[in-house]
This record gives sequence, structure tokens and C-alpha cells, in this order.
Amino acid sequence: MTEAAVDVLASAAAAGAPAMRPRWLRRLLANRSVVTGALILVAFVLAAVLAGTLSTHNPTRLEPASRLQPPSARHFLGTDEFGRDVWSLVLYGSRVSLLVGVTTMVLTSVGGIAVGLVAGFSRRLDTVVMRVMDGLMAFPAILLAIALMAVRGPGVWNVIFALSVVYMPRTAMLIRSTVLSIRELDYVQAARALGREDAGIAARHILPNCVGPLLVQGSFVFAYAILAEAILGFLGVGVPPYVPSWGNVIASGKNVIREAFWVSLFPGVALTLAGLSLNLLGDGLRDLLDPRLRVQ
Amino acid sequence: MGPYLLRRLAAIVPVLAVVVTIVFLLIHLIPGDPVSVMLGPDATPGQIEATRKGLGLDRPIYEQLVGFYGRILRGDLGQSYFLDRPVSQALWERAEPTMVLMLSALVVAIAIGVPSGTVAAACRGSAWDRGLMLISLLGVCIPGFWLSLNFIYFFAVRLGWLPAAGYVSVLTDPAGALRYMVLPAFSLGFNQSALIARISRSCMLEVLQQDYIRTARAKGLSHRAVTWVHAFRNALVPVVTVIGITTAVLIGGAVVTEIVFNIPGLGRLIISAILRRDYPVVQGVVLVTATAYVLINLGVDLLYAMIDPRIRYD
Amino acid sequence: MARSVPVRKALVAAVAVLLVIFGAVAGAGAQSKGGVLRVGNLGEPPSLDAHWTTASITETLTNHIYEGLYSLDSSNKPIPMLAEGVSVSKDGLVYTFKLRQGVKFHNGKEMTSEDVIPSLARWGKQSPYGKALFAQVADWKALDKYTVEMKLKEKSAIVLISLAVPSNFGAIYPKEIAEKFPPEVKATEYIGTGPFKLAEWKPDQYIRMVRFDEYKSRAEKPNGYGGGKTAYVDEIRWVPVPEVATRVAQVETGELDFADDLNLDSYDRLKKNPNAHPIVSKPYYWLVAVMNKKEGLMTNQKLRQAWQAAIDIEPIMKNVAGGKPEFYRMDSSLAPVEITAWHTKLAGLPWNEHNKDKAKRLLKESGYKGEPIRFMTTQEYKWMYDFALLTKQQLEDVGFNIDLQVVDWATLVKRRNNSKEYDVFTTGMGAFYDPTHHIYLTAGWPGWTTDEDILKLQSDLARETDPKKRMALWEQQTRQFYEKVPVIRYGDLFGLRAARNTLKGFNDKTERVRFYNVWLEK
Repeated sequence: MTEAAVDVLASAAAAGAPAMRPRWLRRLLANRSVVTGALILVAFVLAAVLAGTLSTHNPTRLEPASRLQPPSARHFLGTDEFGRDVWSLVLYGSRVSLLVGVTTMVLTSVGGIAVGLVAGFSRRLDTVVMRVMDGLMAFPAILLAIALMAVRGPGVWNVIFALSVVYMPRTAMLIRSTVLSIRELDYVQAARALGREDAGIAARHILPNCVGPLLVQGSFVFAYAILAEAILGFLGVGVPPYVPSWGNVIASGKNVIREAFWVSLFPGVALTLAGLSLNLLGDGLRDLLDPRLRVQ
Repeated sequence: MGPYLLRRLAAIVPVLAVVVTIVFLLIHLIPGDPVSVMLGPDATPGQIEATRKGLGLDRPIYEQLVGFYGRILRGDLGQSYFLDRPVSQALWERAEPTMVLMLSALVVAIAIGVPSGTVAAACRGSAWDRGLMLISLLGVCIPGFWLSLNFIYFFAVRLGWLPAAGYVSVLTDPAGALRYMVLPAFSLGFNQSALIARISRSCMLEVLQQDYIRTARAKGLSHRAVTWVHAFRNALVPVVTVIGITTAVLIGGAVVTEIVFNIPGLGRLIISAILRRDYPVVQGVVLVTATAYVLINLGVDLLYAMIDPRIRYD
Repeated sequence: MARSVPVRKALVAAVAVLLVIFGAVAGAGAQSKGGVLRVGNLGEPPSLDAHWTTASITETLTNHIYEGLYSLDSSNKPIPMLAEGVSVSKDGLVYTFKLRQGVKFHNGKEMTSEDVIPSLARWGKQSPYGKALFAQVADWKALDKYTVEMKLKEKSAIVLISLAVPSNFGAIYPKEIAEKFPPEVKATEYIGTGPFKLAEWKPDQYIRMVRFDEYKSRAEKPNGYGGGKTAYVDEIRWVPVPEVATRVAQVETGELDFADDLNLDSYDRLKKNPNAHPIVSKPYYWLVAVMNKKEGLMTNQKLRQAWQAAIDIEPIMKNVAGGKPEFYRMDSSLAPVEITAWHTKLAGLPWNEHNKDKAKRLLKESGYKGEPIRFMTTQEYKWMYDFALLTKQQLEDVGFNIDLQVVDWATLVKRRNNSKEYDVFTTGMGAFYDPTHHIYLTAGWPGWTTDEDILKLQSDLARETDPKKRMALWEQQTRQFYEKVPVIRYGDLFGLRAARNTLKGFNDKTERVRFYNVWLEK
């Protein structure tokens, strides 16, 4: 093939894209899962961002005189054993959850892309990388996260580090398989034959094809990360206990569950809804992109 | 079958090697001197030196790694500093509750998941289908530990039907053991049943489209016979794979469930070990669970190969 | 003349019937032997070596398997336990203890003076109570198999009380064990003379103690911690249940017979339960924040005084007590009300001033520049975490910068021995039976109180034998305490325990629990 032919093909592909976009967007908006999931997620993001305005009290302010009060006009979701307002705790807790979720998602995507590209392009490194990823994935996620927290100590950045290490391999494998499948396509072969550099091929052909699966995978990683952060907090190996986080509030509510079930109830509901939104988003995106794509 | 088995065994060796290396590295990620952290500040310099030698931390890192491999292969997982006994013994003492919990949760997950998925597929598009899939979606999203708390609150505290926490060995008292296992197994299993339900459903749907099903229907077999006899058996194959994945997730979920229900298993052990800075035990638990996961996956692969001969020639 | 047979038969029958009735009536309230008593603990003991630690969980457990020369009666006075008695020389410098004979260790060996000497020597090197006594001792000698002689350097008021104290006490071990393990090293063999012996210890699962059949009980009735001890139950099973909500739930459902250290919110529910009942224990602990006076920020006395001036204790105590006034007591005395001999009622002490202006002034005078103060606490004792968190807020309101570090209890106990690791830590003090036993007033215990004036008064108290003069010294020491602030005293907290109604014979007047003389009703 001549260079001109390759360029024609490439430009045809590029030209096809703008015409596709409105249809693609329409399909996106028509998918109920995606829309519902996205709406709930937006609500959470707003809650986190506007936590300051929306909350009625300072979540870390202890008010011993009003401990364990049921939901009321003054305290929408009641108070915990120190008199802290549960509504405000849930709002501020969403910040920690979202911070951990988004950052973990970004770090696993970036890390996954880097590792996946290397594995996909280099035959020699591929075997090594694959084995290392398999090894990492052999550890049950929560267990590895707990162990990493044990060695690093408490703190939100250690949580993010631990969770990123745990979830990165899955993304890397995903990118790698995308690389492998696209590498074999005719027009990519042609580009390579013509001397186009791997980096260019990666940028122009592979990465755009990864966006979809990355988004799908990303939503699930986001969901796992939020849940994992809450579990770590609940177990006492996450962020320090007096920092508002959903896991911490559920943990403190556990001791007074009979006298004040609302303390553990509402952050749990928030967790469930957050997870629900992300799972819906992920499911919907996956159905749109490729119903056969099974992401773990 | 033989060559396939050998091939698969050969494939897991490097993975296990990576696992062991990661476990080894864990102790080196500790900020500061791991031995002082482990023994505490009132340890005498003599004790610190002895421990350092015992752990081999005074030698160059390459030598340490080789030494670590050697010990692992001999089955020596080190000594627990808090419990004053070998790590392998500490693990062995706590293996039974965790295994019982995981098995019970697996049984619950399959018992709920497979029928739900199958029924949903068979009545595709109906209210049943949508309802079951909604429940299974919730099952994926509800945090297991929160579900445990709610179960305890409703069934143990308010209704008093079941005990709130604790563990009784099946070997000592089977009936009692069952009572103690119900809530933990359900809260752990419910999460996983969701995934199994969804996969069962999609596999069943695929199978139901197949030609031979249509043939069976054309032959006049009842809807139910078609579903359960033909489709079900074939849909089982991918489900077996999912069971392998589920087991890995169950190992992780067991940790939290054990804490909430005060079950003296490996999960409770790793948390206590972390709180006490008993790093050899942390390493031991992590190593054993990862190895178990690899071996379970191997088992699932072999099972798969036995059911579907096409796999062997891959 | 022989009675006729029918009459004889009738008499025998009558006697038999009377015996049966009598037996039934007597048996109705009698103790029944047997059963397994299941007790829920809040965690694992750091050790079962009585000499090694002051931790109260160790105290409770070890007092079932070991005994000392003396014990405490119901008015907290020393009474003989393994000792038969003592004779003191006229000048008060020589104490001759006669040991009881025929007392067996769990391994069958008889307890003699050759076990007492090394045991007490080991205790004297490790325990603060032992160290306080041994500071005055010139020499211990075994005169014969059942007699031990102690020569003092100076007159002492604290000999018997030191030997009687139940916490970190002078337990008598077999000679071989006392000599095998140096004082700083935890003993890992547990042989004592107590009514129970250690059968099995599975960490995180249970500790099993079984009745020691050859236990030689004293003849007297049970009296406080001492007197006669009978092991009615076959076995005590101590189960660690770290989750407090689970611990109380398990007593309510019957999976446990007894649980201690419960959160006070459960009191109302326990009262309503038909099969279990709550027990309020007084005293339980008085809450303290211990200052690191060896190095770091808190070596500054003005800073410590600022902390003391800032805190408003009553709302903290109320919150820790679950909002129930019946569960706490505001008191500035260093010995709680129940220790009648040493309770003080002094006025004008700078305790609970909650004076923010004074605090801010002291803060300024101390030269504090807002550096973070490392305040170590744990969630395992919930009330510690509670008062630490509330304190942090109160202090930050006046300008302190508190770095709250939440760790597990085992780590806290380890770390508090290292002056580089913290500035303040939380703990609770139990009842001290003698002024010289207040460990926070010694240089050896974490926090390291090295103030000369305080230490001088403590040694005066050890020497002065006249009770009135001792009380005057003690009041002086109390005033000094509030001026020098070696630790911060909060209020008194009461504890909540729960027991099944089938548990009988439990003595709820002792500060810590004991399960001898206790039986399970069938």
C-alpha cells in the first residue's frame, strides 16, 4: 500500500468519527442505566463539593449534650455518640470517598496504560509483566490493601496508594489485550511497515480504542475503591477514626446499633447508592460499547 | 489431560514466585526499622540483633530473597512475635473457621444465584426477570459489612432468632455450628450470589438461543424440561469459572465478616496481627491466601477442561 | 430391753424422711459443683506473668492461678494468704513470715521458702509495688523450709500492703520458673498455687482454666479477695470478644455467662432482660492523661498546668458515662471514695477549673508555639478514646495543637515505655490501697515523675508509720500533685458488667472480678 492510501484510510476513519458522535451520544443518553447512574453520581459529586453549604453542622464538632439523638428537624439524620451530626458526617464523608475513588481510578488508569502498552508492544517484557500482574491479582484485593496499610500506616494517601496497587493490574491487562488485538489489524500493520513509530500508533490508533473500555473499567474501579475505603475505615486501618468517612461512621455506629441504629444506617445507604450509581454507569457503558466485553 | 495439567502447573510456578516475592517485599515497605517496630521500644539491643539475625535482615537483599524462598519451600513461615509460636501453627489453628465460612457462603451464593439467574433467563423480559436482576444489582452494591450489621440487628437483636456472633466448630456441635453460621454465611454469600445470578442468566440466555434447544422444543418437550435438562447443564460450565473468581472475592470478604461476627479465623488473625505489628503473621496470611487462590483457579481450570474437552487443545 | 422391731423400723424411717427433707431444704440454696463458666474479656492479656505488668486484665486472670503471701480483705486491709502470719521485731526492722504448710503448686511440688525468695526477688525488680518495697529492704532470707525473714533498712509502713496488693503482685512461682525468666522477660510457664490452673491458652480464641483439685483452701470464710476459696465450676473459659456490642449481646443471649467492661448505654436494656442482670462496679477507673516528663513538649510545667486549667471535666465524664449521672463521679481526691482510709476532701485545688482565660495565659507563659502534641489513645478501651477526643476539642478551643494518635492497647502499652514516641497518653487508674502505690508518682512508671518534692513525700510516706501523720503527708502530696501536674486527673468512672441469673455467689464488692466461690445454678 502506498502512503497516500494509508492516509486516505486514516482520514476516512477520522472523518467517520464526527458523523458518529451525535449518534453515539444519542445512544448514550437513551441508555437508562447510564443516565440513572450518571445522575446519582452527579448528585454525590455535588454533595461532596457543596458539603460546606449543605451541611447543617461542623461534622467534627463534638457536642456531648446532644448525643444519640434520632433524626429530627435540627439533625436530619440524627447524631452519633459524640453528638456529631450524621447528615454533615455523611456529606463530608462523601469527600473522602470521592477523593479516594477518583484518584484511585485515575492512578490505575494511568498506571494500567503504561504497563499495558509496554506489555502489548514488547514481546520480551510481555511475559514478565504478565506474570507479575497475575501474581498481584492472586491476592484478594481487600487483603492486599489491608497488608499494604499495615506496613505504610494510616492516612488517606496511603489508602489511595494501596488501592491503586491492588486495582492497577486489571486495567493493565485490559489495555494489553486491546493493544494486542489492534496491533494485528491491517491498517496498523501497514502503518508499521511504513515506519510509523510505535508511539504514534499508540496515540492515534490504540488509545482512542481504549477510552471506552477504560471508562467501563474505571467506573468499576471507582466503585471498588469507594467500598474498599469504607471497609478499611470500618476495620480501623484506613483514615484515622476521627476523620469523617463513611467507613468510620459505620464503625462508630456499630457500638450503639441498638440504641441508635441511624448512625450506621445512613452512611451505609450512601455507600450503597454510590456503588449503585457507578455500577449502573459501568454496566450501561459496557452494554453500549460491546455486550460481550466481560470486565473483571 | 495429562499434558494439559503439566502445562497449567508449569504456568503457575512463575505466578507463585511473584506472589512470594511480593510477600517478601511487604516487610521492606515499612517506614523505619521493621524490627524495632515489631519488638517495640522496650526491646533490648540484644533482642533486636537476635531478631534481625533470625529474620536475616542483616544480609544483602538478594541473599535475603533467596533465603526467604528457601524457608517458604521448606514450609517455614517464620515465628509470630506476639503469639510465641510458629506462624504456620497460628495459621493452622485458624484455618477451619475461615474455610467453613467460605464454603457456607459459597453454598449460599450458588443456592441463591444459580436459580435466580436461571429463572430470570427462562422468563426473560418479564417482571420476574427485572425484579431478580434488580435484587442482584443491589446485592453487588450493598456493602457486605453493613449488611452483616443489619442482619445482626434484625435477626439477633430484635427478633432473637439467631446468635449475634461467635463460632462453634462443626466437629464439636453440628447443630450449634449451623446456627452460628447462618448470618455470616448469608451476609457474605448474598453479595456473591448477585454476580453468580447475572452470569448464570447471561449464560442461560446464550444457551437458550442455541439450535439444539430449538430442536428440543420443536420435538415437543415442555418448556421446563428444555430449560432444566438441556440448557442448565450446559450453562453450568461458565458458572464453574465464576465460582473460581467468587472464591477469591470470598477470601477477602471473609476478613470483614469474621470481624463483625467474632469468628476466630484467618481474617481476624490478620487484623489482630496488623494491630500488634506482628509482621511475620501478616506475611503468612497473605501468602497462604494468595497461594490458595492460585490453586483454586488451577482447580477450576482443570474442572473446566474435564467438562469441555475443547479447552485442552488450546 | 430391746425395742420392738416395728417401732425401730418406724424410727429409722422417720429419721430417713427427716434427713431427706432436711437435705432437700439445705440443698435448695446450696452451691452446685460443675459446669463451664464462660467469661467475655475485651481482649488478649499482654501476658499471664503476674510480675510483668500492671495491666488489669492480667491482674484479673492471674489472681485465679497464683497467690501471694498476703491478700486484701473486704475493707482493703492485708490478711494472710500463703503466709500463716508474721511477727515483727520491736524496732520494726525485722519481719518473720511463717508460711503455710502442705500448699501444693499445680505441678505437685510443695511451696516452701525456697520458692518464695526468688519469686519475690523477681517481683521486686519488675513491679512498681515490688520496687517500692524493695527500696526499703536490706535482705530476704530463708530461715527454714517454712520461714522467711525480711530485714528492712528503715521502718516501713508498707510491707504487708505491698505484699497484699492484687495488681502486678508478688505471686509465688516455683523456684525453677522464677529463676528461669529474668524480670524483664515474660514468663511463659504458668504454675501457681491458686484454685484454678491454666489448662490451655489459644490466643484470640480462649484461655481455659480448670479446677485445681489439690488446692488447699484457707479455713476462714471468703473475705474480700482473701479467705477461703472454692472452685465450684469445673472450668473458667475466658473468651476475647473485642467488640463491646457483641460482648453484651452474648450475655443477653446466653452464649456468655459474664462480661466485663461494657458500654454504659447497655444498662437499661440489661435491666429489662429476664435472664441476665447488670452489675455496676465502683470504683472502676479514674481517668488520667499521663504526661511524658522525660523529654518533649510536656516537660514544660506551665504547659501541663494550662491543660489542667482548660478542661471542663463534667461534660466529658457525662459523655463517657453514656449520659447517665449514676455512672460517674466528680472528685478531686487521688484515692476514690471507696478507699476510705485515703480519701481526701480538700478545697481550693485547681482541678476542673475550666478557666479558658487562665489556660490561655498559662499557654502563653509556657512559650508554646503551637507545635503538635502527640496524644496517644486507643479505641479498645472505649472510654479512653472518648475522653481523648473530647479533650482534644476542648484544648484546641484554647489554642493547643493536638495530634491524636489512635493505636491498639498492646501498642500503647509498649510505646508508653519509650519517651521518644509520645507526649501524652490516656489510661485509667484503679484503686490504690496505699499512698505509696500511686504509680504515676514514681520515677519508674511511664511518664517518669522525677520531681524531687513529690518523690521526697513518697519516701516519707513509706517510712512514716503513724496513720494520722501519714494522712497529713498525703494531703500535702495531693496539693503538690495539683501544682506540679505529673498527670491530669479527670473524674471517676464506674463500670458496667453483665451476668446471667444462673451465676451465683459473685462478690460484686471487689474492684475486680473473681470467679472462685462462684457457681452456676443448674
